Amino acid sequence: MSRPARHLLVPILIFFLFQVQAQQRYTLSGTITDSSSNENLIGVSLLIPELRTGVTTNEYGFYSITLAEGEYEILVTSLGFQDIIRTISLNQNQKINFQMAEEAEQLEEVVVTDKTKKIDIRKPQMSVNTLSVQTIKDIPVVLGEADVIKSLVLLPGVTSAGEASSGFNVRGGAADQNLILLDEAIIFNSSHLFGFFSVFNPDAIKDVKLYKGGIPARYGGRVSSVLEIYQKEGNSKEFKMSGGIGAVASRLLAEGPIVKDKASFLIGGRASYAQLFLPLIDIDNAASFYDLNTKLNYKINDNNNIYLSGYFGRDKFNVNEQFVNIYGNAFVNFRWNHLFSNKLFSNLSLIYSDYYYGLELDFVGFRWNSGIQNFNVKYDLKHYLGDNLQMNYGINNIYYIFNPGKIEPNNPDSGILEDQLTKKYANEAAAYVDVEHKITDNLSLGYGLRVSHFARLGQDELYVYENDQPVVFDPFQLVYQEATPIDTINPGRGSTLKDFFNFEPRVSVAYAFNDDNSVKASYNRMAQYLHLLSNTSSPTPLDVWTPSGPWVDPQLLNQYALGYFRNIKEGAYSLETEVFYKDIENRIDYIDGANLIANNAIEQVILNGEAQAYGFELLFRKNEGRLRGWLAYTLSRSEQRTPGRPPVVDNGRSNLETGINFGEWYSTPYDKTHDIALYGSYEINKKWRFNTNFIYQTGQPTNYPVGQFEFEGLVVPFYGLRNKERLPDYHRLDIAATLTPRKKNPETSWKSEWVFSVYNIYNRMNAASINFRQNEDTGANEAIKTSIFGIVPSVTYNFSF
Amino acid sequence: MRLTGLTYIILTMLIFTSCEEVIEVETPSESPRLIVEGLIRVDQSEPFLPVRIKVSLTDNFFGEIPVTNLDNILISYQEIEDGVISFSGSSTLAEIAPGTGIYEPDPDFFDDQRIPTVVTFAEETVFNLLISHQGRRYFAETRYVSSVPIISAQQGNATFFGEDDTEIIVLFADQPNKDNNYIFDFAFNEYLVTSDEFYKDQLFQFSYFYDRQFEPDTEIEITLMGADRNFYNYMDQVIEQSEASQGVFQTPVATVRGNIFDITDLDNNQVVDNTGRPELFPLGYFAVVQEYRQKVTIRE
Repeated sequence: MSRPARHLLVPILIFFLFQVQAQQRYTLSGTITDSSSNENLIGVSLLIPELRTGVTTNEYGFYSITLAEGEYEILVTSLGFQDIIRTISLNQNQKINFQMAEEAEQLEEVVVTDKTKKIDIRKPQMSVNTLSVQTIKDIPVVLGEADVIKSLVLLPGVTSAGEASSGFNVRGGAADQNLILLDEAIIFNSSHLFGFFSVFNPDAIKDVKLYKGGIPARYGGRVSSVLEIYQKEGNSKEFKMSGGIGAVASRLLAEGPIVKDKASFLIGGRASYAQLFLPLIDIDNAASFYDLNTKLNYKINDNNNIYLSGYFGRDKFNVNEQFVNIYGNAFVNFRWNHLFSNKLFSNLSLIYSDYYYGLELDFVGFRWNSGIQNFNVKYDLKHYLGDNLQMNYGINNIYYIFNPGKIEPNNPDSGILEDQLTKKYANEAAAYVDVEHKITDNLSLGYGLRVSHFARLGQDELYVYENDQPVVFDPFQLVYQEATPIDTINPGRGSTLKDFFNFEPRVSVAYAFNDDNSVKASYNRMAQYLHLLSNTSSPTPLDVWTPSGPWVDPQLLNQYALGYFRNIKEGAYSLETEVFYKDIENRIDYIDGANLIANNAIEQVILNGEAQAYGFELLFRKNEGRLRGWLAYTLSRSEQRTPGRPPVVDNGRSNLETGINFGEWYSTPYDKTHDIALYGSYEINKKWRFNTNFIYQTGQPTNYPVGQFEFEGLVVPFYGLRNKERLPDYHRLDIAATLTPRKKNPETSWKSEWVFSVYNIYNRMNAASINFRQNEDTGANEAIKTSIFGIVPSVTYNFSF
Repeated sequence: MRLTGLTYIILTMLIFTSCEEVIEVETPSESPRLIVEGLIRVDQSEPFLPVRIKVSLTDNFFGEIPVTNLDNILISYQEIEDGVISFSGSSTLAEIAPGTGIYEPDPDFFDDQRIPTVVTFAEETVFNLLISHQGRRYFAETRYVSSVPIISAQQGNATFFGEDDTEIIVLFADQPNKDNNYIFDFAFNEYLVTSDEFYKDQLFQFSYFYDRQFEPDTEIEITLMGADRNFYNYMDQVIEQSEASQGVFQTPVATVRGNIFDITDLDNNQVVDNTGRPELFPLGYFAVVQEYRQKVTIRE
């Protein structure tokens, strides 16, 4: 057991004992829902002002708080809803369900001093950003397609590799280091169309939360961040439809009761128009995507709720029938919420999810299917021990099947032989305890421990290498090369090839000087057992996930963060600043010229390196008034290196290695020194609303050739150390105007809005890349700048009834 | 078939939706390195190997590649069977004309320096290249690799990148009972690497697309060469880097290093490897491979 872990167990036990108290105490519990739809509300605060204490609802709208006997005034408050104030006399355990009414309904012309998004300065949780679905829908985006991931990039510490790039990067981490959970199911690829759009349908989403640091022990398996997204359950009061028609895709969502107030359904679909890029390209191609979200929810009784949710998304990309590419995620998730008591909430999740990737290359007579399947069982308990102590604990087991690819001939004349690349199997198990502990009014602690175990299970064929080294180093040419296996063994599915065991302690502390100022600090250690084999600056759908195993070690992170938080003018403004440092062991790197696709012996091209990132983040928000928004600034550095392995004595000689990039640190592709994002929303009146964002980022690291040579007529630029240069700085300004027409008939439930947006309004041709090549016609060498989007105007029409 | 090119296809598609612009960029420079172009393509029906080694120096990416001349260049060869050298020989090369940087077997030597093709009939002939240049010595070792004939190469009608494509359908039979790598030379400085991983011992047919149309009756000569794994990887990288397939799906650039290395400081006693001098290396490759040619005449 690692030392920090051992030290943690003691306080956990001690605080447990403290709870045994003689005073007469009762528990107030229940759920908080939206009065119009019965939709559970996440993160609603239930406050007892006189005791300066409170609780927030969990992911299923449940709350529980235990207080001394007495009469209390209770304030239930949430952004976008009217406050509820109620006096209760607590002389026995009570169950009270609150229904909150949307605020917008009551607002007329003036107002606009509604709920402020006051930051929770007393909670030990730090490095978390939430985005409301409304904000996500308001943020101007390219082609008007509201997008969760493109919105995240406006937050401090979050960047993406560019306009046509999948995923996002948090605090200098790679895209595969983000744990993306949609209704608790792991999403392996978050992008449609190679990154132009993300896979989440904003109409079906209820809540989005991004943990960048101080990650609680209930999450694990990725080292950079956790993006937690919950879908709506569906309206159990009345049937509703909503949808939109946009420049890229159209959406339609229906929800309604199956049994009124007890059972509901939600079904939402989104599809892009076929041949999306057709007008732009002169060849016969088609690129399209669709996704489908479904959800059923049944409230059996006060103590039991079940949910069944599903997601299915596919992308299709077709060039002249010569190149056909289909990929996407799918999952089915069964969840059961059970209340053991008014203090103990439990959720059982059974999740099957799958990521599929298929490719057909007609010009070589070749078809390729690959994917990952996983079976995930999770049991999470939330134990509300008192008004100052909450404990979360649970277990999780995930079984994975990796299919690196099955190759088949696509016609009888093809010379391609059917071949199944060796499937890989693994099991990841974890148990955690996570405590939120309020020590005094001003001091709160969060501490927890996750224990994770990963077993790489046996497979049909496994290579054996001399000295157990699948990568060999040539000490004369100074290059790494694939080793030739000396044997192939068949370990069998029942065996364990290698297993890993990790203690992952998490600690956070908050000290509030007063109601408006606090400092917080956190430490988290995390392990990541899966690696995305991606040799490119942003993931492509061709990238394949691979488990840790005999030659690939799990990534291990230590992250430290320190922050200062302040509410200004009663929360009209808020300021959040943080510094962080993190280091990651065993970040994989690839030998020069590594082939990652359809490679049956990926260990031959991988070396274990390390990564580190550090930075400063600032988020200044204006939370009230007609004009709202934020300014986010990040100053950071992200780098990695892969030094040579320790010398191995071979033939009586010990071979030194130079490492990749001569073992020197180099900037990761997501190293953006300065990152500024400004977002503003201005409501002129009930009819017109304006939103704008401005982004400025230091150019992405890139390479310029240090020279050129010729070989067999080819002009080849050659490069020195990696990522020494940068692309020109990236910046752009987007504006959107939302027109909500006045209802002609106030009785009708039909609501609609028009969103007019202009992306990149000053038409800056931001460089996505700079390439070096010989001009085919003139024979002269040239540098080519590629830009993806210039100015892009678009119109979207949204409706609901 | 190696699939690294796929990323390139996707990239190409993205480029279609985007905008390209030639820009002025100042690229860094470093002190010149020796470049050795040493691919010897063997036609076994000819009496002698077409030995022709070109040397030059690296320059800034936007500069001119200057030729250079060598103090000495020698190719030696041998075949070892069961630990016994069954034959060996060597060839001294000389610059064909001053200032060309092109070296061929020295015609002024006291005996014939040309290498007879028969030396490649043996199973595993090893060739060594030894060069002295400006006070430094370089060395490379390579094994002769055989190839197979192209059974047919025909023009097709399909298109891929656009209406102006020209499709060539190539058919060949994989060399049986061994792992093979091949390099296709489609002329016009277009190359393709492929390995038999997924079509072992099979007849294999595929389409190659030129992103252009040709005048009718144009004759295109396609060459199929053998390659060992190292040369295959080298050509794969050379092709990738010259195609400028960086970008959103940019792969980390690699300094494409060949099989020729600096041996000046190696004394096999104190200094047994080059790890202490990672910056000192030449560029280029030395390979001796068999080739088969096939002509296609463009119709219409």
